[in-house]
Amino acid sequence: MKLKIASFLLIVTAAVSCNKSKLDPIPQTALSDAVAFSDSSRSVQQVNGLYSAIKNGNMLAGRYQVYQDVRGEEFINRTNNAVTAWLTWQFNLTASANEVQNLWAAGYAAINRCNVVIDGLTKSTISDGLKKNLIAEAKFVRANSYFILMQLYARPYTDGNGSKLGIILKLQPETSSGDQNQTRATAGEIYTQIIKDLNEAETDLPSTYANATLNTTRAHKNTAASMKTRVYLNMGQWANVITEGNKLVPNAAPWNASTGVANGLLANVATVYTNYTSAEAIFSMPFTALDVPGTQNGLGWYYNPGPNGGGEFALNIVAPGIYADAGWRTSDARRGLLVESGGQTWLRKFPNPNNAADWSPVIRYAEVMLNLSEALARNEAGTAVNARALAILNAIRKRSDATIADFTPATKDELVNLILNERRIELLGEGFRSSDIARTNATFPAKGSVGSVAPSANQYIWPISIAELLVNKSCQQNTGY
Amino acid sequence: MRKLVIMMSFLLCSLQILAQDKTVTGKVTDEKDGSPLAGVSVTVKGTTVGTSTGTDGSFRLTVPASARILVFTFVNFAAQEVSIGNRSEFAVKLASEDKALSEVVVVGYGTVRKKDLTGSVVTIGGDKVKDLPVQSFDQALSGRAAGVSITIPNGVVNNPPVIRIRGVNSISLSSFPLVVVDGIPSFSGDVGNGNAANNPLGDINPTDIESIEVLKDAAAAAIYGSRASAGVLIITTKKGKQGRARVSYDAWVGFTKPYNLIPVLNGREYETIKNEGLTNAGTPPNGTTRGFYPYIGPDGNPVDTKWYDVIYRTGTSQNHNVSVSGANEKTNYYFSAGYTKQEGMIRQNDFTRLNATMNLDHKVNNRITIGGKFQYANTNNTGVNSGSVPGGAFATSGIARLGFNLMPNVPVYLNNGAYNINTVSNTIGQGGNLTALQFTNPQVLLDLNRFSSTSDRIISNVYGNVKIIDGLSFRTTFGIDNLNVVNKTFQNALHGDGVSNGGSAFNNLQTFRRWNWTNVLNYVKSFGNHNLTALVGNEQQYTSSDGWGANRQGVTDPFYNEFQGGFNTIVPFANFLSENYLVSFFGRVNYDYDKKYLLSINGRRDGYSAFAPENKYGNFWGASAGWVVSEEEFFKNSDISNVLSNLKLRGSYGVVGNNQGINDFAFWSFFSSGLYGSNPSLFFSQAGNRNLKWETSQKTDIGLELGFLKNRLNVEATYYINNVDNLILAEPQAPSRGIPGNSILTNVGSMSNKGFEFTINANVIQKQGFSWNTSFNITTLKNEVTALAAGNADIQPATSGLERPSMIRVGQSIGSFYVVRSGGVNPANGQRIFYYRDGTAVQYNHAAPVASRWTLVSSGAVAPRVADQANDGIIMGPALPKWTGGWDNTIRYNGFDLNMLFFFSGGNYVYNGTKAGLRDMRSWNNSTEVLNRWTKAGDVTTIPRIVFGDNISNGSGIVMSENVEKGDFLKMRSLTLGYSLPKTVTEKIGINNFRFYAQILNAFTLTKYTGYDPEISSNGNGNGNPSVDRNSVPQARSFNVGVNIGL
Repeated sequence: MKLKIASFLLIVTAAVSCNKSKLDPIPQTALSDAVAFSDSSRSVQQVNGLYSAIKNGNMLAGRYQVYQDVRGEEFINRTNNAVTAWLTWQFNLTASANEVQNLWAAGYAAINRCNVVIDGLTKSTISDGLKKNLIAEAKFVRANSYFILMQLYARPYTDGNGSKLGIILKLQPETSSGDQNQTRATAGEIYTQIIKDLNEAETDLPSTYANATLNTTRAHKNTAASMKTRVYLNMGQWANVITEGNKLVPNAAPWNASTGVANGLLANVATVYTNYTSAEAIFSMPFTALDVPGTQNGLGWYYNPGPNGGGEFALNIVAPGIYADAGWRTSDARRGLLVESGGQTWLRKFPNPNNAADWSPVIRYAEVMLNLSEALARNEAGTAVNARALAILNAIRKRSDATIADFTPATKDELVNLILNERRIELLGEGFRSSDIARTNATFPAKGSVGSVAPSANQYIWPISIAELLVNKSCQQNTGY
Repeated sequence: MRKLVIMMSFLLCSLQILAQDKTVTGKVTDEKDGSPLAGVSVTVKGTTVGTSTGTDGSFRLTVPASARILVFTFVNFAAQEVSIGNRSEFAVKLASEDKALSEVVVVGYGTVRKKDLTGSVVTIGGDKVKDLPVQSFDQALSGRAAGVSITIPNGVVNNPPVIRIRGVNSISLSSFPLVVVDGIPSFSGDVGNGNAANNPLGDINPTDIESIEVLKDAAAAAIYGSRASAGVLIITTKKGKQGRARVSYDAWVGFTKPYNLIPVLNGREYETIKNEGLTNAGTPPNGTTRGFYPYIGPDGNPVDTKWYDVIYRTGTSQNHNVSVSGANEKTNYYFSAGYTKQEGMIRQNDFTRLNATMNLDHKVNNRITIGGKFQYANTNNTGVNSGSVPGGAFATSGIARLGFNLMPNVPVYLNNGAYNINTVSNTIGQGGNLTALQFTNPQVLLDLNRFSSTSDRIISNVYGNVKIIDGLSFRTTFGIDNLNVVNKTFQNALHGDGVSNGGSAFNNLQTFRRWNWTNVLNYVKSFGNHNLTALVGNEQQYTSSDGWGANRQGVTDPFYNEFQGGFNTIVPFANFLSENYLVSFFGRVNYDYDKKYLLSINGRRDGYSAFAPENKYGNFWGASAGWVVSEEEFFKNSDISNVLSNLKLRGSYGVVGNNQGINDFAFWSFFSSGLYGSNPSLFFSQAGNRNLKWETSQKTDIGLELGFLKNRLNVEATYYINNVDNLILAEPQAPSRGIPGNSILTNVGSMSNKGFEFTINANVIQKQGFSWNTSFNITTLKNEVTALAAGNADIQPATSGLERPSMIRVGQSIGSFYVVRSGGVNPANGQRIFYYRDGTAVQYNHAAPVASRWTLVSSGAVAPRVADQANDGIIMGPALPKWTGGWDNTIRYNGFDLNMLFFFSGGNYVYNGTKAGLRDMRSWNNSTEVLNRWTKAGDVTTIPRIVFGDNISNGSGIVMSENVEKGDFLKMRSLTLGYSLPKTVTEKIGINNFRFYAQILNAFTLTKYTGYDPEISSNGNGNGNPSVDRNSVPQARSFNVGVNIGL
């Protein structure tokens, strides 16, 4: 009998046992949405997470810049590898191509992170001052993301003055299942939002941060203004470029910003790529051994030969490649950023291997100067040569080739062409070429085995990602895809 | 388990003795040889009065005056009823029963006689998996049982097979069955490092397995409730058998190599084809900057490298196993130790396992039995980057691709003895070629890289069983499954994937720990002809997974190839921490009336930690009924019973669940930590779903079992339907929504699997010294996706993240192919023709300018757009075989035994993506079929005009119908010829038995499929992308010889 009782007790004990807390485990390696904005430290980390989003391997850690450059005529693909921009290089993309899907997804992941963070910060109990600063940064990142996507997935603003199809405009946070269908806004609507975000960001951003690293890796007032020069240039709104450019660029040397962070033109162009937080680096993507561009991402990976890089793209050393431009003299310090190896010539602005990657410059003072210079030149009435534009151009050229004679363009068009040419040299490998061709409605020149692509060609812009079209039934595909 | 039955029969016998009884005595012998049978249960029918025979087979029993019939039952023998009448002395001969029907079948938390079974369960004996040159028992199950489809993905050693029980039962969760080893759910999947595959089921020595039960329908599986949607595999390890200690030694040695390799171009053919491509592209070879030219080897001749020979080998293997087992009335033990070392067909791809198993049961007294088992294994898997495990198909250094895509006109080593590599591009050295090459030199990777995955595994349990009152017992079992895995990778700084980090070593430790505590109260009672078995129980299972590791980069000296050597940098790698908990309450009632009418009902309530508090619990149940017509008097009395000895109808229905494979924190929305430069960051990393609940599966099963000619011929036919509801789907989100991972787990989809299973077992010939047993099974499957997320948006699962040949679409079988139709090669111009969805024929010319590559076949005018999958895709399916099956034959002639197992599958398509790679017109090598390329107007061929750089016409850049092929095949999975020494000889040398055998695994494959092998899965156990062949190695063929010795 005793045994029976004992057995029953055992059974009862065993059967009812179930561990309540084990049934409700709490993840130990992530923060729940309920507490993710609970203090200033977490809020700042959230904003760092936004920069990380645009630093994604598919975006500013390198691939976006690479797509921009290899669509142009400056590089020859060496690896025929369909996952490392070969298809982009030869204009053979489809909606299901790797880069088409990945950049689209990375861009909107960044945009949604911005929307989530803006919403989270708005509801957070942190101080109003910090809150304004941080939301401004989120808007800056969002504007950047939209701008990046517009460069590849939509016809340029200048084609139809913003009337053509843009991309999908998302301003509300998406955190759960919801309506998948949304049509594309016009290019004009997207650019309006970009400018609005940048204007609001400029207002609320701090003028400076505590140290040079933060000044380079987080947006301040000058960063927003600089970005606006780029956006307005792509919109063909010269007066606006000038307004924004004037905030940073004086009328004459020394080329330094007078307010906010003391951004300026360095004396030696090589320093730009070695001193990551110099005055010229208005906005850059930082890397450390623990925060790397990722496999087959990174500018160094694409442009360096082995063993430091993947040897994916060598310079196109024959015309129309800029390398073959006789006016770009061997005495030019920027030729010193090229290297020969294995019978090819390579761009060596970013010489370090992936696990010690060089920072990716996003906005440099030299670019702002060239943006301003071009706007000044184009904004000039008639065919006159704008003197300030010319002075800026000469400053950029002579920084790297001190002994060269000043440019002496006879006409406005000649000056504009010189500036565009200078951009090819100065900004080589930094992600500008495709936009510079597209915004001027020019033809992508032939290179290697790849033929030219006229503005009328469907391949002039990328297709929209198949992943979007499969789910978002309202999204329109680009013509010809 | 048989002991358990004996015990249960004891329980049925109470000791009640009434007055005015009479005593009967007798002896029970084996009909076959007249030997006495000990332990035979003797009962008075309809009562609990009974006894069992002694060692000499005799019994003595006092029976009530009312007793009319004595029932004699004994395991493996047919029950016999003898009318008592006036007799008091009985001589009873028991005939050994047809095994298939007398067998006891292990079901969840108990056993049941196959005769009484109403659910759909199939048993595979341990002898079917032992002695085969496989790493894990599941690899040996192909073709063994109806409804169980096993695909060996390829010849990578210890690569987990694809197991599907009655179709694909989930989309985003696991469709792999629950594997329960001696009551404890086991870990499964692949815990390797992405290069060395490591199937945790390989930690179980197949020789230790007594039986494998497959639970297929709800009646059988619902007792496992939440985890039963994809079926259950119950593994029972061996126990000692009554009698003196037995010692067995089993061993084999063998070798293994690839088969059906596809011939590729030799060096000269390669140069011809590639140079022709350059010329056709308008950039002819010029001897200075482009062109393909030979490299002159040390013998003065142009080299012609057979890269297949560099990467494949004939691997040798050996396997040894020793066991000691035995039992007496009180104690039962089994002890074994095993060692196996198996070299795969790919160089460096080896598997080694050392293991020991101990099973012990002890009857403390009449009420209490205790026991347990301890199983330890140390498994070491080494490998290379094979490009043949899920996710690896497009690896630049994937060795399968290197075998067929590397240029044959460049050497492995330069004439100066150095590796032939190009350090600027980190590719194979150019040799004499001027045009840039791709891919890496596998010799360097084989020599200098190291990949290993080592497991230490303990599976152990203890149990106690207490008989509380007659018929009522309580069993508590506590088990653990601890798996520690150390994964190591070293990639050299000289060449291949390690170059970008200056040489790197990854080490990580993964610890998976599980405990499981199960308490079951079991009640067995017979009232006259009413037989009742009932159980209720509680199960708790806690699992934690904990991983940490690091990646050291920048090796400081080529001497180092271990993590602990000299490196510059260290970064975190493979860190994870997670846990889950399952608590369950369950019950089952089995009832039968006179063994004619069978009824079984089971139910289970499960709570699982991954669901939100309001959705933690799910209720599951199954019910089944059976009618053994052949037990009916009218049937027994009819003539038909002379021929038809067994006729049983059964049916079941139930609802089971699935949580297998769900993320432990699936319902949470959270933010993860990262870095922005050197500053910490937080980012939105998971969009959770609090409404997430159990995926459920409604299973219907209707079966008919027939036994002919005293059950010499058994036929079983089953119709099944699995309707999976509330499918947990990673609902694709429009990327523009920016949801992390572009998906949210949601219960939205539904899917059905239905089909027939048909099994025939026959003793075709059964004569003294000569027998032929055959077993044939075939299963049909019709899978249909019936609902997906809102709007039923299509899902296209990727192969290794890059290619999307597979489609999940409502109304179609899951993973059917989505292709652009190809119209072959236009004889007029050698361009491949594609069709728009509306039927417009367009053609592709890679030699034309970018904007005019696509033209209309009709007019030659530039086509309005490219042909692509999004606009022009059509379904080609199914990818899942419509029918699969096996045919197993064992012929014995005197001491010889011959076994042939055929495995067949078909009715489906396979995406031959490897073919696209074999026809790619970059600098890659091609299959010899490209020699038949189009060269002039009028040529009719399948190979388009060769244009260098073209990756569209071959299908690398577009998924096309040309690369989708029928997957029908018949494979001789194994062929074994054995010989056992006659008893006269073995007795002379003092042993029990001695058998030796020779065996071939994968003897041949009959198929029209043009790839390596239609039995393929580049995506492993992926639900939505089956039957994809993308850059995988072929299957291996093994030959081995072995011995089985019993002492």
